[in-house]
Amino acid sequence: MATALKRYFADGSSGATLSVSQKVYVRSRRGKATKIVQEHYLRTDIPCSSQLCPICSLNLPKDSSGAERPPILSREPPTAGSWGPHYLVPDTNVFVKAMDLMEHKSAFYDVIVLQTVLDELRNISLPLYNRLRALSQSQEKRFYVFHNEFRQETFVERQQGESMNDKNDRAIRTACAWYRVHLDETMSKSSEIVPQVLLLSNDNDCLRKARELGVACTNLDDYVRFLPDCDTLLDMIVAEHGGDETHKFAYPEYYSTSRIQGGIQIGNLHQGVLNISQYNYLEGSVTVPSFDRPLLILGRESINRAMHGDVVVVEVLPESEWKTPSTKIVEEDNITKNDNAEDDEEENLLVTEQERRALAEEPATQNSSAEFKVQRTAKVVSVIKRNWRSYVGHIDAASISSDAVATRRQTSVFLIPMNRRIPKIKIRTRRAADLVGKRILAAVDSWDASSRYPQGHFIRALGDIEAKAAETEALLLEYDVQYQPFTQSVLDCLPIEGHDWKVPAETSDPRWTGREDLRDLLVCSIDPPGCQDIDDALHARPLPNGNFEVGVHIADVSHFVKPNTAMDSEASSRGTTVYLVDKRIDMLPVLLGTNLCSLMPYVERFAFSAIWEMTPDAEIVNTRFTKSVIRSKEAFSYEQAQLRIDDKSQTDPLTQGIRDLLRLSKALKAKRMAAGALNLASPEVKVNVESETSDPMDVEVKKSHETNSLVEEFMLLANISVAAKIYEAFPQSAMLRRHGAPPKENFEVLADQLRVCKQLSLNAESSKQLADSLDACKDSNDPYLNTLIRIMATRCMLAAEYFCSGTMAEPEFRHYGLATHIYTHWTSPIRRYADIVAHRQLASAIAYEPLHESLRDKPKLERVCQNINQRHRNAQFAGRASVEYYIGQALKNHELDVEAYVMKVFSNGFVVFVPQFGIEGPIHLRDAKSSFKFDEANYALILNEGTDKEETLQLFRKIIVHVETVVEESTGKRKVAFRSQNPKIE
Amino acid sequence: MSRPEIYSPEGLRIDGRRWNEVRHIKCAINTHPASSDGSSIIEQGNTKVMCNVVGPAEPTSSSGGGGAKSNTNSFANENKVTLSVKATVAPFSTIDRRKRSGNDSRIQEMCLTIQHIFEEAVMGHLQPRSQIVISLYILAQDGGMLQACINAASLALIDAGIPMYDYVCACTAGMHDTEVLLDLNRLEENDMPFLTMATLGATRKVSLMQLETRVGVDKLEPMMAAAMSGCHYLRQIMDAQVRKHGKNRLARVGA
Ligand SMILES: [Zn+2]
Repeated sequence: MATALKRYFADGSSGATLSVSQKVYVRSRRGKATKIVQEHYLRTDIPCSSQLCPICSLNLPKDSSGAERPPILSREPPTAGSWGPHYLVPDTNVFVKAMDLMEHKSAFYDVIVLQTVLDELRNISLPLYNRLRALSQSQEKRFYVFHNEFRQETFVERQQGESMNDKNDRAIRTACAWYRVHLDETMSKSSEIVPQVLLLSNDNDCLRKARELGVACTNLDDYVRFLPDCDTLLDMIVAEHGGDETHKFAYPEYYSTSRIQGGIQIGNLHQGVLNISQYNYLEGSVTVPSFDRPLLILGRESINRAMHGDVVVVEVLPESEWKTPSTKIVEEDNITKNDNAEDDEEENLLVTEQERRALAEEPATQNSSAEFKVQRTAKVVSVIKRNWRSYVGHIDAASISSDAVATRRQTSVFLIPMNRRIPKIKIRTRRAADLVGKRILAAVDSWDASSRYPQGHFIRALGDIEAKAAETEALLLEYDVQYQPFTQSVLDCLPIEGHDWKVPAETSDPRWTGREDLRDLLVCSIDPPGCQDIDDALHARPLPNGNFEVGVHIADVSHFVKPNTAMDSEASSRGTTVYLVDKRIDMLPVLLGTNLCSLMPYVERFAFSAIWEMTPDAEIVNTRFTKSVIRSKEAFSYEQAQLRIDDKSQTDPLTQGIRDLLRLSKALKAKRMAAGALNLASPEVKVNVESETSDPMDVEVKKSHETNSLVEEFMLLANISVAAKIYEAFPQSAMLRRHGAPPKENFEVLADQLRVCKQLSLNAESSKQLADSLDACKDSNDPYLNTLIRIMATRCMLAAEYFCSGTMAEPEFRHYGLATHIYTHWTSPIRRYADIVAHRQLASAIAYEPLHESLRDKPKLERVCQNINQRHRNAQFAGRASVEYYIGQALKNHELDVEAYVMKVFSNGFVVFVPQFGIEGPIHLRDAKSSFKFDEANYALILNEGTDKEETLQLFRKIIVHVETVVEESTGKRKVAFRSQNPKIE
Repeated sequence: MSRPEIYSPEGLRIDGRRWNEVRHIKCAINTHPASSDGSSIIEQGNTKVMCNVVGPAEPTSSSGGGGAKSNTNSFANENKVTLSVKATVAPFSTIDRRKRSGNDSRIQEMCLTIQHIFEEAVMGHLQPRSQIVISLYILAQDGGMLQACINAASLALIDAGIPMYDYVCACTAGMHDTEVLLDLNRLEENDMPFLTMATLGATRKVSLMQLETRVGVDKLEPMMAAAMSGCHYLRQIMDAQVRKHGKNRLARVGA
C-alpha cells in the first residue's frame, strides 16, 4: 500500500477540518491485478477518550441522533507491579494469544484498542474480532477503540521497502507515543497523576524500538505475573507452538487450497460436516450430496485432526477398503489412558497398537443381507471450517506427573471433555493439582500435524464435579446456552410501568388502535401444572348457523419486543427459552414472560388472535387474524381441564366451550392422521424435585391426557393457518418451518432389524405408509415395544428446521412429520424467537403495522434461521442432559433392578434402553466371565454357547438390568451404570 | 483481506469521515472555453465528471437525437428550449476497466433523468425554438455518479450563461442500520440503501429524488433531511466557485 498525502479543504456540516490522503493498493482478483484507490481522511477530532483529558471531553463527536459518546477510560486506571496507574495498549498478537484473559473479570481494565490492531485481528480471525468488539461495546471493562489511522498525528505512511507488519508495529508505537504526549500536554494544569500508556507485546524487536521512543512497554507474561491470581491468568494464555524438533510421527498434511477446489469441482473430493459416533471416538461419518449414504471415516489417521462438527473435505478410499460401521464400543479413556500428556510427541506411532486393535474388523461380510451395510470409507484431507468452541471437561488425574505437583512448574495435562465425541485436549497449567476434581472450561487453540492431541488452554474452573451449580453451569456452557442475566440495556426496553403495566382503560388510547375487544369471550388456557409463561388461550362458541367459532389467542409479544432494540437482538441471539429440570433460562426478561405477556386468568392482556369458523366436522369455513384484547376466564392444568370435561354436572358455557374444543380437536386429529401424520415418540420423563432444595425426588414418565392433544391440535391448526397467510403476503421472506422427508436408506437398517428379529415389516415409502406400518409394529405381549420402535424410527428422521421461504422451492416446504404442506411456529412467542418473527410478519400481512425491513431482508433472516435452528437443537440437548444428571443424582443412593430393552448390539457389548427413566447406556462384555459370540446377521450376542445356560441377547429383547450409579475412579464423575441381571452376565 | 467496518461503533466511516461529512469537492468552470459555450469539471472524492454545454443554438438534426424525448414534428419546440443530454463513461473510470456501450440502458435512463431536472430549472421559455446540448464525461467513479453529473451540468449551464432559477445541487444519503450517512462512496453505496436528491438551490424544492433500493418508510425522512442539507452545502461550494471565477474574469476585463 502506498499513500500520497494531498491536502485538500474538505469540510462537512460538522465544521471539522480534514485532510485527505489516497490509499492506493493493488488487489488481485481472478488472477488480475487491479489498482484500487480509496480516500483516507485524516482528522484531528478523534478523542483520546480519557476521562482525565479536559480537551477531548469538550469536543465529543455526535452521531446522527445527536448523541455523544462519553469518555471511556477511567480517571483511576488500575496499577500493576511497578507500573503506576496505566492504560494498556496490547498489540495484535496479544489479543490472539490472550483473548480469554481480556474477558476475565479480575484484570485488564482501561484498554486502548488501536484501529490498526483491530483491523489486523479481523484479518486473522473474525470470531476473535467479534469478541473484541463485544468487549468494547459492553463498557464494563472499558475497552476503547482508538482510530489511530484516521487521526492526523498518529497516521503512519508505509515506507519504501517496509513490510506491512513493520508498518503496523510502527503505527502502534506511534499511537502510544502520541497518547503519552497528548495526556502530558492536556493534563499539564491538572493535579491528578498522568496515567502511563503501557504497550503490551510479545515481539522483542517491537519492545526494543518502543523503549527507544520512550514508550512504556512490557511482555505479556511479565505483565500478568504482577496481577493477582496470576497462576489462573497465565494458564489462560494460548501456548506457543513447541520447537521445531523433528517429529517421529505426524498426521498427513492437508491438501492445498487449489487442489481442494479442483478436486471438489471434478467430484473426487467432497465437502461435509464430520459427525463422530457417540459410541466410538475413532469412527466418524460425513454426509455429502453425491452419495445417498454417509461416508465412513475410520481411525485417527483418516479423521486427521478433524473434530465433531467441523466442515471437512474428504476423499473416498478405494473400494477394497470399504467397511461396515464398527460393531464395537470404543471409548477413548479406556484405550488411551496411558498416553502421556507431557511428551506425546516422543512416541513413534501415530496410531497406537490398542487403537489399531480396537478398530480391526473382519473384512466386510459378503453375505447378502449385510450388503447394504458396507459403506464407502473416506479420509479427511482438509478442514474448511473448525467448529471449535470452549469445552467443559475435567482433568485426567492420571496425566499429571507427580513432580509437577510438587514444583508447581507449568505442565501439560489432559482435559477429558464431557462430550465423548471430542478428543482429549492438552492444556498447560501450573495448578494441575488444584484442578483435579473440578469442572473446567477450556478452549482449543491448535492441532499440529506433529501432535496426537489438540492443544488448548484453561479458561476457568466452574466448581467441584457433581456440585449442582458447577454441573448446571457446565451443561449450559457445553450447549452454548446464554445464561447470563439480561443486561441493563435490555431491561431498559421494558415498559416503565413494570409490573403495574395494564391494558389502557380507555379504548381511545392509541395502543387500542387496530385491536378488537374480545374481553367478553369465554377464553381459557390449558397448560402443564404450574406453568407461568402462558403463551396461548382458546375459546369456542356455537354460531347461529350451526357452525362453531374457534379462537386461538396468543400472547402479543411483538407489541413489547420491537425490532432493532437491545431486547430484540438479545432474544434473537438466545433464540429460545431453555428448560432444565430445576431451572428455566428465559429468552425474554421475566417481567414479560411471566407477567405482561403471559395470558393469565382474570386480567386483561394484549393478544394476537386467530379465529376460525368451522363446521361441526371441523371443516374450516373462514379464517381471520386480529390483534385483540382478551381476559382469560380460567387457567387450567391439563388434568383440571380433563376433570371439568368429564364432570357431567358442569354445564356452564365455559365447560361447554372446552367440550366443543375437544370434539373439534378429535376431528382435526383424525384428518391429520388420515393425511399421514406421524405419531412419533421420544422418551419423555419428568424429574420431580423437592421445591426447597431442588434435590431430585423421583422420576416418572410423563402422563398424557386428552386435553394435551386438544391444545396441540389447535396450535398446529393456528401455525398452519398463519404459515399460509404470511407466505401469501411475503413469498420471499416468510419465516417457516419444514421437516424434510428422510431418505429411505435411513430406515434400511431398522427395517432389516425388525424383519430379522421380530418378523415385522417397516415401510418408509411415504409418511402415510410409515405411519401405518409403525401402527402395525406391535407385539401383543409387549405393549412398550411399539413405543421403542417409534423412538428408534424417530432417530432415523431428519430434524425439522426453520427457513426463510425465499430459500427453497415450494414443494420443499412440506412438514413430513405433521403431513402438512406448509408450517411455521407462531404460538409460543414468549419462548421461541421464530414465533416473534412470525407475529411481526402476520401483523404486517393483516395491515396492522408496516413490516420492519429486517424482516424482509432475506440474508438477515437466513442468519436468524441458522441461529435459532442451532439454539433449538442445543436447548433440547441441554434439557436432556439435565434430566440425565438428575436421574444420576436421584439414583445415587439406591440401586434397583428395572426392565430394559436391547437397543443396539455390538461385538463386545450392547446398549440398553430403560423406559422407566428414559435413558440408555452401554453394557460392556470385556470383563465378562461368561463366553459370548457375536451373531451379526441376527443382531444378537450368544452367551455361554453350547452350555445349559445358553442365552441369546437379541435386539429388542426385554431384559432386567441392575441400575446403579458409579463414581469413576480417575475423575470422581458419577455415571449411571447398567449390569444385566436377567439373563445374568457375570 | 476481509471487509473492513463500513461504519464503526465509534462513528467513523470506512474512509474516516463522520456521518454528516461530504467528501472533498473540487470544482472549476469554464475549463474548455474553446470547444463549448459552458464547461465544468467537478471532483467529489474520487468521482470525477466533466461537462460541456453547447447552446442555446439552432437545433440540428445530428445533435438532437441524444435526448430521449422525441418531438414528432421537428426538434424545435415552439414554446421553449429543447434540452438534450449525452453521457460518456470512460472505460478507465471504474477499477475493472469495463467497456460500457453508449446504449447502456442505465446511462440512457440517467440522461433522461438529468434532462427532466434541467427542463424545470432552466428558464426555457426565454429561448424558444432553440436547443441546448449537455455532454457529460464520467472520468472516474467512486460512488455518487448521478449527483456529480447533476452538479457538473448545473455549473456548466451557469458558465454558458443560460438563465436558470437557481443551481440544481445533488447529494446522496444512505442508511446504515439506523445511522444516516451523507455522500456515499462506492463501497458504501454497495452496502446500504441510499437515495440521490437534488434541490433547486438552497430551497426545499426537490427536483429529484431517486431511490432504487428498499428501505423502511420510517427511515426515509432522516435520509431525505440529511441529503437536503448536503445539497444546500453543495450550493455554497458551487456558488463560491462561480463567484471566484467571475471575480477573476472581471478583474481581467477591467485590467
Ligand atoms: Zn484527550
